[in-house]
Amino acid sequence: MREEKRQGVAKKAAAPKHINRNLRTLLSIWVGKTIMSLTRIFGQGGTTLPGRIALKINPQVSAVLSSQLDAGSLIITGTNGKTTTTALINGILKEAGLKCIHNQSGSNLAWGVASTLIESSSWWGRLHQNCAVLEVDEGSFPEVVRNIKPRGIIATNIFRDQLDRFGEIDHIQNSIKKGIENLLENSFKVINADDPSLAGINPANGKNILYYGLELDLPAYPFQNTGRDIKVCPLCSHILTYDKIYFAHLGHYRCEACKYKRPLPAVKLTDCQNDHKNNTTLEISTSDQALKLITPLMGTYNLYNILAAIACALELEIPSKTIIKSLDKAIPSFGRMEPFEYDNKKIVMALIKNPVGTNEVLRTVLTHQDGKVTILIAINDNIADGTDISWLWDADFEQLHNHPDRLDNVIVSGSRAWDMAVRLKYSGLEAGKILVEEEPQHAINKSLEHTDPGGRIFILPNYTAMLELRRELNRMGMGNPYWNREEIL
Amino acid sequence: MRNINVYHLYPGYLNLYGDRGNMLSLYRRAEWRGINLEIIPVEPGENINFASCDLLFMGGGQDSDQKLVAEDLKTRRTELQKAVEAGMVIFAVCGSYQLLGHYYTTVREERIPGLGIIDLYTEAGGERLIGNTLIKCSLWNPPRILAGFENHAGKTYLGSKLQPLGRVISGFGNNGFDKTEGAVYKNVIGTYLHGALLPKNPWLTDYLLQKALAYRQQDDQLDELDDFLEIQAYRSAIKLTGKHPDKLNLL
Repeated sequence: MREEKRQGVAKKAAAPKHINRNLRTLLSIWVGKTIMSLTRIFGQGGTTLPGRIALKINPQVSAVLSSQLDAGSLIITGTNGKTTTTALINGILKEAGLKCIHNQSGSNLAWGVASTLIESSSWWGRLHQNCAVLEVDEGSFPEVVRNIKPRGIIATNIFRDQLDRFGEIDHIQNSIKKGIENLLENSFKVINADDPSLAGINPANGKNILYYGLELDLPAYPFQNTGRDIKVCPLCSHILTYDKIYFAHLGHYRCEACKYKRPLPAVKLTDCQNDHKNNTTLEISTSDQALKLITPLMGTYNLYNILAAIACALELEIPSKTIIKSLDKAIPSFGRMEPFEYDNKKIVMALIKNPVGTNEVLRTVLTHQDGKVTILIAINDNIADGTDISWLWDADFEQLHNHPDRLDNVIVSGSRAWDMAVRLKYSGLEAGKILVEEEPQHAINKSLEHTDPGGRIFILPNYTAMLELRRELNRMGMGNPYWNREEIL
Repeated sequence: MRNINVYHLYPGYLNLYGDRGNMLSLYRRAEWRGINLEIIPVEPGENINFASCDLLFMGGGQDSDQKLVAEDLKTRRTELQKAVEAGMVIFAVCGSYQLLGHYYTTVREERIPGLGIIDLYTEAGGERLIGNTLIKCSLWNPPRILAGFENHAGKTYLGSKLQPLGRVISGFGNNGFDKTEGAVYKNVIGTYLHGALLPKNPWLTDYLLQKALAYRQQDDQLDELDDFLEIQAYRSAIKLTGKHPDKLNLL
């Protein structure tokens, strides 16, 4: 039975048996693996350095390794939802009986991908898995696609994120377009129809595109003052008209000047109901089938992630039963509403890294349950976070001020703790309620002090702050370090 | 009660780089002093009446948005010029700072004509100038240091008689070459600094509020506020440039 399912998925072609494992490739793998073991001994989950050095030795190392995968590779890119979508697809493929490589810790630049592949390979450059499901940063997308030649890509959305690295949105859009154009001719593309800047990319190789989108009557999004990131037609720059907006610039749009409009999605979400236990029932329809599933994942952004994963799985001809079975047990990814417990206090960690994602996280935190919460926000400005933290002002931290009965204190931490404190003060929060603790361990201790037994703490860090805080939680006996964390799906 | 009308130009378009922080800084610091500050959003195609505007705020945008805005603003150039000469306050950041000059050439070598309100021009190209920035600013005597973050592809060059907002102590400034940052003409201030700039340089917010009050012949005295958090954020921004706040002559 398992075998049968696998054949559907692994129909790509026979694996290329002549692997070009020359001395340079082997050297690059050995050096990568050695650095990896060393960084782990010193307690850092090294995902950058090994790949970086390995790529210096042989820039083709990712290409050589990934060419062994008989079911091919999938690449997930876009601003928000990469990690969750990647985890969901990985879960579905596993359910279908495949062995997958997966860059779980969010190490998604070209060298992170190289590190992941090297880690999975034997010292002799052999991979024993069938496929790789990789999230790739928008900036690295063209390069990784050119190297790995994936079987398919998934593009989730484009938002303003880490402006210092990418410049502006126009630039991200070009990068994704370039990546799509680097694909092999028969590769498939799963694209979010509700994002005008993605759907409007119009690559030279426009075949094999599968669009997904929401077809729901959701109540209007109450926090609109952030402004939309993309407001003009990607083809003629005229202002777009929206019939529905699900969040930020995602919705049903059309251009009245050039008649460009949202492409009709082949995979669409037609119904979505929350029950009182915080489970969501979804109804999804495609051209030839209807799927119904229940998920514990919260927030509109996760609807898009689930839909993207389903579209990709259907493209791989995975039976809908397998898809539903896997998604039913999906739990939040690393640092995305990830739960911990300490001293009878529930801790939930949710990554925040750009305005739209932050708004959705805050909305989920403040509307899904009642009762008092302690909030810890940690903001660093390392390269991996983006050194430009001006986005803090574009996110709706006003939501905290609008729920004064829900919180007594907000603790702020990280190298930009004071900026965050000022942000909260100007959102209307009393200055006396804002407690600054730059060091992660002090911030966690303070949060625990300010939370009654049975109470809840939400930790909202950006990327490197999350790694630091997680390490601290691990040290206190919570969770596992990510490099030996049990596979989550 | 004292009143200030702030016109926020095209909030749906020019809204990059935390511009909302600048608006919030103006709004709260007026509110905390009992000044009634009203923010009036102006969308493209609306007929703005500059006669009732005390302070015009213009934010940053990306190239595609900026073109749209430039075309819309052209029709109101004469009125804007008149208001500027009469002392109306303008605070323009990044993209719209460029727009106040003669022209802006994009990376794709497209020339977007500006408003020509102040004597400068901008050309995009080469490396993006990105990073934490400190400038010595002569709006005060003795000068004060402003701390911000810059992130721009455009290189701006000032006309020979135009005053910069400050001299670069750390970072790139207008073009990475002549050590100038921003520009000041009458009550118009243009700058590349965001982060957002006003929240952690509260004295600049207060400067703008005072100028806006004085423009309408209102009392421009402002009560002192407790700026502990703001000053800590300011000091931490200075440290990011590798300088030590205690070693700079801050006040």
